[in-house]
Amino acid sequence: MSGSGNASLEGKALREFVSEAEEILDQLLTDLADLFDQRSSLDSDAEVDPDLVNRVFRSAHSLKGLAGMFGLDAIGDLAHHLEDVLDGLRLGRIEMDSPAVSLLESVVLLLVSLLEGVGDPDREAAARETASAKIEELRSALQEAPAEEEGFSNLSIDPQLLRALTEYEEHRLRESIRRGRHLSLVDSVFEMVSFEEGLAELSAAIREVGEVVSTLPSPGDSPERQIRFSLLVATQISVDQLRTRLELPNTTVQSVLVPAEPQDTPEDPSPSEQATQAPVPPETDPLPSAETPPSSGESDGAVAEGEAKSPDIASLRSISGTVRVDIAKLDELMNLVGELVIQRAAIEEIASKLAREALTTHIGQELTKANRLLDRKLKELQAGVLEVRMVPLRQVFEKLSRVVRRLRRDLDKDVALEFSGADTELDKLIVEQLVDPLMHIVRNAVDHAIEPEEERATCGKPRQGMIHIEASQRGNYVLVEVRDDGRGLDPTLIRARAEEMDLVDPSEVLSEKEIFDLLFLPGFSTRSEVSETSGRGVGMDVVRSNLTSLGGIVELRSDLGRGTAVTLTLPITLAIIRALVVVVGDHRYAIPLNSVLETLLIADGEIQRSEGREILNLRGQPLLLRRLSEELEIEETERPQKQYVVVLGLGDLRLGLVVDRIAGQQDAVIKPIRGPIQQIRGIAGATELGDQGAVLVLDIASLVEDAVRRKECA
Amino acid sequence: MSQLDTATDPAASDTPAPAPRDWQALARSTARGAEELEQDVVLELLCFRLADGTYALPVERVREIVRLRPVTRVPRVPEAILGAVALRGEIVLVVDLRVRLGLARPEATREARLIVLHGADDRVAALLVDAVRDVLRVSEESLQSPQDSSGGFVRELALRGDDFVSIVDVDRVLDFDAE
Repeated sequence: MSGSGNASLEGKALREFVSEAEEILDQLLTDLADLFDQRSSLDSDAEVDPDLVNRVFRSAHSLKGLAGMFGLDAIGDLAHHLEDVLDGLRLGRIEMDSPAVSLLESVVLLLVSLLEGVGDPDREAAARETASAKIEELRSALQEAPAEEEGFSNLSIDPQLLRALTEYEEHRLRESIRRGRHLSLVDSVFEMVSFEEGLAELSAAIREVGEVVSTLPSPGDSPERQIRFSLLVATQISVDQLRTRLELPNTTVQSVLVPAEPQDTPEDPSPSEQATQAPVPPETDPLPSAETPPSSGESDGAVAEGEAKSPDIASLRSISGTVRVDIAKLDELMNLVGELVIQRAAIEEIASKLAREALTTHIGQELTKANRLLDRKLKELQAGVLEVRMVPLRQVFEKLSRVVRRLRRDLDKDVALEFSGADTELDKLIVEQLVDPLMHIVRNAVDHAIEPEEERATCGKPRQGMIHIEASQRGNYVLVEVRDDGRGLDPTLIRARAEEMDLVDPSEVLSEKEIFDLLFLPGFSTRSEVSETSGRGVGMDVVRSNLTSLGGIVELRSDLGRGTAVTLTLPITLAIIRALVVVVGDHRYAIPLNSVLETLLIADGEIQRSEGREILNLRGQPLLLRRLSEELEIEETERPQKQYVVVLGLGDLRLGLVVDRIAGQQDAVIKPIRGPIQQIRGIAGATELGDQGAVLVLDIASLVEDAVRRKECA
Repeated sequence: MSQLDTATDPAASDTPAPAPRDWQALARSTARGAEELEQDVVLELLCFRLADGTYALPVERVREIVRLRPVTRVPRVPEAILGAVALRGEIVLVVDLRVRLGLARPEATREARLIVLHGADDRVAALLVDAVRDVLRVSEESLQSPQDSSGGFVRELALRGDDFVSIVDVDRVLDFDAE
């Protein structure tokens, strides 16, 4: 076994493998889900999109090659067998309805779990066993392979061209004949310099009305300048219709099929007699491999098949045109930019010193000017690095849509998922941590909120339930809202349940919002009775804590009988924040500006007291105050006459933080504090601010939570 | 050749050694130059001053040595953690080694240095010491145990000339969870 080989793999290369493999598996799962959908929505004889089957096949093939390069046998073997089954599917050797198809998804899911175990020898060993069991299943599925054998006697195609077809293309050709499609040979001559665009354009135009079965290159009339492509095409529309549709220069469209009942046509012993009709010049070999320029990779299945036989490296190259970057490297870059900003501040200091001296005034001014330009470029650089970290939410939404499809099958509920704003971008780190909470919310919606069809019908709702996910950007925040048109939440039921659990005193007056807030309390949610009657609440405490750790908030609105909306508000990036710098005694602290609602200047006399706690009358509402000096155990010097209150908002919670002074706003890169103590309650991290060294960034979520909890205890 | 030489027997350092053998080893290690030491397991120690004693830690744990710079106070941490410093974009906690070892709190002088350790996140730290001296090469076999290790942070002693150097157990120093 390759256990020792795995151990010697470099961590970096392995990480790259995992991230690339994840991408492939993601695509595989999406495509498979589409495949299942198509198969179940179409009548049994209808055909699934051959491009889709091809794509699935190619994904499996890429994964096999990739795993092979890294010596990961378990994954490689499994992918190899998956590829075999998929190959059988796309060549028509295996029926779409056979057990092999239902196996596919389970195989891919197994691959996902194998991937998670990469690097862990114990899990890898266990994985190898599960993998070989799965392979056995796949093997037995493979055995039921009905052979198809039929000549192409009724086609007026150059036999040389026919011989050049791959097995897959032959299968597609047969399939098209069987379905009575119109077959034609589209012959087009392109200028050598621009043939890729031209061919892609032509193929795309054909795909709108049919399928390109094969694309074969041959030299044009003037071989050094031109290239000819013969496209074997199957369409629903007639050949004449196709001809008028395409209307391209240097292109001819010829019918190659006598469409009248192909089975009844007597077998023609020599199709070569019709060869003169074929547009491919018979004196030239249809595949003059030595002279043919490299064919365009994206053109179609013919080329893909060719690639499949070339070394695996070639197919890997085509997976993605983008550069994969470890997020840690981007963090390093960000750090460097941060240091540059600090260095620039030092230069500014020198410049102003020079400007103050009579002898060097001029140089000082010049330096200031140059430094200002440097500043502008630095800001651009900073923005550029930030931008690289941003990824669209689309990938998360697609994952969610897969989950909904699976739930729809498992729960037998008719639910549609719609999303908008999928191009909204967020920091990669945030996007990754957003998947689980969103999954939770969507699962809840399908499982609990959307009523069974009959119930919906009696309420006068459309039978199909609807979940809508919408993302939008608001300044430095992104809002993600999940809305359903299900049964909504019943505040009376939630309240009754909360009283039963002693979470609320029966005499306490609660607003509807406060009642919904109870759903976020840990423990409340685990009661299944509640989640069934109220329609929601499973794991909402987890959702809230996930969001809080991202510096975001979660809010919930509901209309009984009409539906529920959960809104997640997230900062666009964790890397750089706008911070309010406050001063207590000799110490400076940074507060993320996104949790600051307003700042107030108050006189000591304005602070009122109730049961030992300090409160402020903020436009008629009581605002609980906390002194930052007490929260952080800073020895208080003399209390100044005037003090500042920073009003913090965390969801619906409000807290006034009393500080001595406000020193202004600044962009700050939040960094973890490294050292023997890993978690310091109330501190989110630290940042380097100019010449002030490390400045601690306050963790507003924990400060507010602590303050409110103490209020409850009091 | 050294099979019969008890002083170079790798097992020797694990068991309490009888005095005469240690004397031989010590005599040899002080008499010979560093090159001749190669056949033994050589330990490189960074020596530093703390209160009135000389202490040391293995060189391979040291990432860099920097001058003392402004330390930001950090709330809700043990007393021995002086605060946090910014080191080229990184924020690292500072452990005041005098306080950690139960010595008197130092008056920071111009010689004070931060010894920055490297490792995973929780193994990184900047140790505040009074002054950094030099690197000492000793053979592992020459190390001795302090008779009384009740302090817990010094488990071994090395000899530099006639003076003992206390080797600080870095992992213990950084383990605040135990308290």
